[in-house]
Amino acid sequence: MAEITIDGLRLEVERGTTVIQAADQLGIEIPRYCYHPGLSIVGQCRICLVEIERMPKLQVACHTPATDGMVVHTNSDKVLEARRAVLEFLLVNHPLDCPVCDQAGECWLQNYYMQHGQHDSQVVVDKVKKHKAQPIGPNVMLDSERCILCTRCVRFCDEVTATHELGIFNRGDHSELAPYPGVELANNYSGNTVDICPVGALTDRDFRFKTRVWYLNETPSICPGCSTGCNIVIHHNDERTYKADGARVARLKPRYNAEVNQWWMCDTGRYGFDFVDAESRLLRPRKRLGSELEILSWRKAMQAVAMAISETVRKYGPDSVAVVLSPQMANEDLFLGRELFSNLIGLANLAFEVPKLEPEEGDALLMTADRNPNSKGGWLLGLPHHHEVSLATLLQVAREKEVRGLYICHHDLGQAVADKELEAAFSQLDFLIFQGSNSNMVSEKADYVLPSTTFAERDGTFTSHAGRVQRFCQAVAPLGDSKPDWLIFKSLAKALGHAMPYFEAEDVFAALADEEAAFAGLDYGSIGESGAQLSPGAETKTPAKTKERESFF
Amino acid sequence: MNVHDKHKPLTWWEKTYLPGVLAGLWLTTRHFVRNMFAHTLRALGMDVKWLGSVTIQYPEFIRPLFPRLRTHHRLTKRDDGSPRCVACMMCETVCPAKCIYIIAEEKPDAPDIEKIPKSFDIDLGLCIFCGYCVEACPEDAIRMDTGILEISSYGRKGMMRDMQTMLALEPKSKRYVEFDDEGDVVSEPFVEDLD
Amino acid sequence: MEAIGIVLIKLAFVLVFVLSFGGILTWVERKQSAIMQDRIGANRASILGLRVIGLFHPLADAIKMFLKESFRPANAEKFIFTLAPAISVFFALVGFAVIPFGDKLVLGDTVVNLQLAPLNVGILYLFAVAGMAVYGVVLGAWASRNNYALLGGLRAAAQMISYEIALGVTIFGSIMVYQTVDLQEIVRWQGAYFWGWLPAWGVILQPLGFLLFLTVGIAETKRVPFDPPEGESEIIGYFLEYSGMGFGMYFLTDFIETVMIAAITVTLFFGGWQVPYLAPDGFHFPWGSELLCAQWVVALLQVLGFTLKIMFFLWLQMAIRWTLPRFRYDQVMRLGWKYILPISLANIVLTGAAILLIK
Ligand code: SF4
Ligand code: SF4
Ligand code: SF4
Ligand code: SF4
Repeated sequence: MAEITIDGLRLEVERGTTVIQAADQLGIEIPRYCYHPGLSIVGQCRICLVEIERMPKLQVACHTPATDGMVVHTNSDKVLEARRAVLEFLLVNHPLDCPVCDQAGECWLQNYYMQHGQHDSQVVVDKVKKHKAQPIGPNVMLDSERCILCTRCVRFCDEVTATHELGIFNRGDHSELAPYPGVELANNYSGNTVDICPVGALTDRDFRFKTRVWYLNETPSICPGCSTGCNIVIHHNDERTYKADGARVARLKPRYNAEVNQWWMCDTGRYGFDFVDAESRLLRPRKRLGSELEILSWRKAMQAVAMAISETVRKYGPDSVAVVLSPQMANEDLFLGRELFSNLIGLANLAFEVPKLEPEEGDALLMTADRNPNSKGGWLLGLPHHHEVSLATLLQVAREKEVRGLYICHHDLGQAVADKELEAAFSQLDFLIFQGSNSNMVSEKADYVLPSTTFAERDGTFTSHAGRVQRFCQAVAPLGDSKPDWLIFKSLAKALGHAMPYFEAEDVFAALADEEAAFAGLDYGSIGESGAQLSPGAETKTPAKTKERESFF
Repeated sequence: MNVHDKHKPLTWWEKTYLPGVLAGLWLTTRHFVRNMFAHTLRALGMDVKWLGSVTIQYPEFIRPLFPRLRTHHRLTKRDDGSPRCVACMMCETVCPAKCIYIIAEEKPDAPDIEKIPKSFDIDLGLCIFCGYCVEACPEDAIRMDTGILEISSYGRKGMMRDMQTMLALEPKSKRYVEFDDEGDVVSEPFVEDLD
Repeated sequence: MEAIGIVLIKLAFVLVFVLSFGGILTWVERKQSAIMQDRIGANRASILGLRVIGLFHPLADAIKMFLKESFRPANAEKFIFTLAPAISVFFALVGFAVIPFGDKLVLGDTVVNLQLAPLNVGILYLFAVAGMAVYGVVLGAWASRNNYALLGGLRAAAQMISYEIALGVTIFGSIMVYQTVDLQEIVRWQGAYFWGWLPAWGVILQPLGFLLFLTVGIAETKRVPFDPPEGESEIIGYFLEYSGMGFGMYFLTDFIETVMIAAITVTLFFGGWQVPYLAPDGFHFPWGSELLCAQWVVALLQVLGFTLKIMFFLWLQMAIRWTLPRFRYDQVMRLGWKYILPISLANIVLTGAAILLIK
């Protein structure tokens, strides 16, 4: 252990802790560009210079280990002067594109210039010209004039993804970041380079020019892209609705969680939010009459669906209606669905998982092959694995007219079963109900369509494959008349004569935690922003040694 | 010091309001009589120096505008006629009335500029003519020097101005005040020829 | 009893007289205020390019108000909402029935009394009618189902009722002097002369009474400076929900009331239709000379005299309206209860004492 004093505050730190880490633990802000807690240390940018007593020169805080009795000053005149000088150097060839730069507003050159620079440039020679606006991969745009050569992106590709696409070429003030010749920055984590780039050198092609970052509001959420459950922030545009063709969700950014995704997220999840504002969103409950579609009010739709279910059950028994819940749904939805269909109506056929025809692949970093956010949650609630109750069997019995009504949530069965088989089964049904957020081949065929919200428009919890219950929060208002799945189940229960005492997703979760041993003792408060681990045996990712620093995200 | 201390309490006589009322009436009546006199004489065809009113009979006569007056917005152009605006949205952000609507797009084949507005609309029905947009613009791309004050319409839609309209506007000097060497205003209200 | 035809002609005369005054007042209001404030005032309404110093503006106003949608809020009390403005106008108008606008006109055998309704309790009738006027305002405000309108209505009710009392008390002095409440008689009373040359107008006998009455009268019209019931800058007032002709009627009521106050002031304090030195057969000047004229000329001069006096008081009321800022509500109430009422009570006592002394 070493006792270090920074700006008069004392702290005991582990041996090997660097000054900048110690300062972070104390909540003292030392400027930084190249230092990133998730990457190796290079001491390249020199902005983190601090004054250490009994050392002749200023030292970089990121690379200097704390030693016992060390006394550090981060705000002395010498330090401030050095910072100003470093900034001036960094800006010598900087194009100052801020008006057209997507980074403006979350740019650390801007921030530190306002905090520590505020100088007039003394350089009279022309700036060095470099390549601008080069798409270096499917998701990333590079403007090498804006690059301050901190090498964070290079280290990310070397150390985290180990794909080695980027490097720094040429020398002196002609040094330029670029991908190796003939190489594209096309790995599935390339979006993270945009996050860690402290300036506007790497920007998102998807987000490019759509809006400005200061128009965006942030809501913590969980990526619904796979069973890892990366913690994210939804950046959404609530006020300037005319931008980006009216899309409300502008981008997803990873949110630091030491136990799950640390600082990162994959590109599949990052750019996979289109469906929230897509044309294909289902907006109103509707009913099919031959080829005609009739828009219904929720009340009418619920009455009609309740009628169809209860009539069929009355005539042909509880085996005659089958429900397919979905691992896309939150714990709250699955719990209420189970309550409603199994316990209240007593249906025997309750399916959950529907594996795709072509299975997905995962990778070694974050993304798993299970592209559903909540399979684990379903299993913990006692919903069957696909090998226990499979879609194939359901369709089989449907063809044999044992099952006469199908209630399908979210699944796009077109990706799981051959069209012919589906046609054959569907044609035998008395009714087919689809509940989901976006249209697909099932909703096209369904007699009743019940529009549900996406993850961005509601509260709820997912259970990751590692058994971590994590909350996501409502970022934007439900589109059209759509409702959260649990609320649809609640309304349906009411139409069937069973009142349920839940008004918020939180109420449902409280009931769930009461009833399910696996979730015992949990509530939204204790889950908090970083989630709660369920079973003690669940594997965890490498725990982070350094404290989260929210600056760069 | 308490603000109320500045007021000396009213006397009983003042509290009847009569002295105040009479003083006021004296003043306004003096103006009335004097102006009425001038008007009457003029109506009788006499040449009276005293105008009797300060009104400028708009629109026949136009009061010269001061150069700093903020009028209808315009968007300035580069030499090649394209908008100077780079859609940085500073004006949109600073606008207290939230009446600027910009949608940006990539500027093809112009490596130095990259970004231009795809559409740039101002709702003059909401605009409060504060001029903040002009102040905020880092590119000198928006100005309020057209001298156009007559902005009206029979509907809300008619108050919207799009990019093409605002690019087509020119600064208009004719309506502005002229000064002499001492800095005094020399322009008189003038008759605009309504071409 | 007069022939019905004559009554109808008088009725038409009074109505045309009052309503055209009301209409022209809207023009006067604009022009007078403009000239007081070194402006020109409305001058744009034109017919065939003819502008006549803005005289067409009242006409344009009327056309506008007739053509505008008469909007009624969904929750308004339909019947009362429609009725209220009419009540207002009605009670403002009927007061004129007892105002004498001339002495008599002798046409051959018939003698026409130049007063619509020769009522021997004229003043009491006026009070009664003025007391009703508040209904138009309060009902309209209440029926609008709008809180701001209701606030305006409440203010109007409080203000009008407070000043109603003062109104009565200020006139007591005059009644004590004239010993009658018949308005025609009051005017005839004022035909006398002090020392043979000074017309015995009420203002000379009751200067304080006149001042108080004018103040209270202006307060009754609810116009600036006594306009918290309208309070255009804060609550808009009792007619907030009215548009089109409904608003038009309230608007007109204000002006008719202004004419009314001018008429009563003239009748009580400025000799009504009396023209100095004009006797029923012509002028008899104090220095002895005479100018005799036909009876109809005398009647005409009386009506003219009356009109001119009214015009002066209209001018005065406008001047006051465009000079003073609005009283705060508490000031209105304080002025009414703590100053005007006690002073007018004192006025009664003084008048009584004076009458006793002289007798
Ligand atoms: S990187 Fe930062 S400083 Fe540079 S142009 Fe972009 S916003 Fe401006
Ligand atoms: S592109 Fe960004 S992250 Fe990469 S070296 Fe340049 S500034 Fe650093
Ligand atoms: S003048 Fe003011 S209100 Fe009008 S557009 Fe500019 S910033 Fe907005
Ligand atoms: S501030 Fe100037 S450059 Fe930026 S969007 Fe507005 S007009 Fe265009």
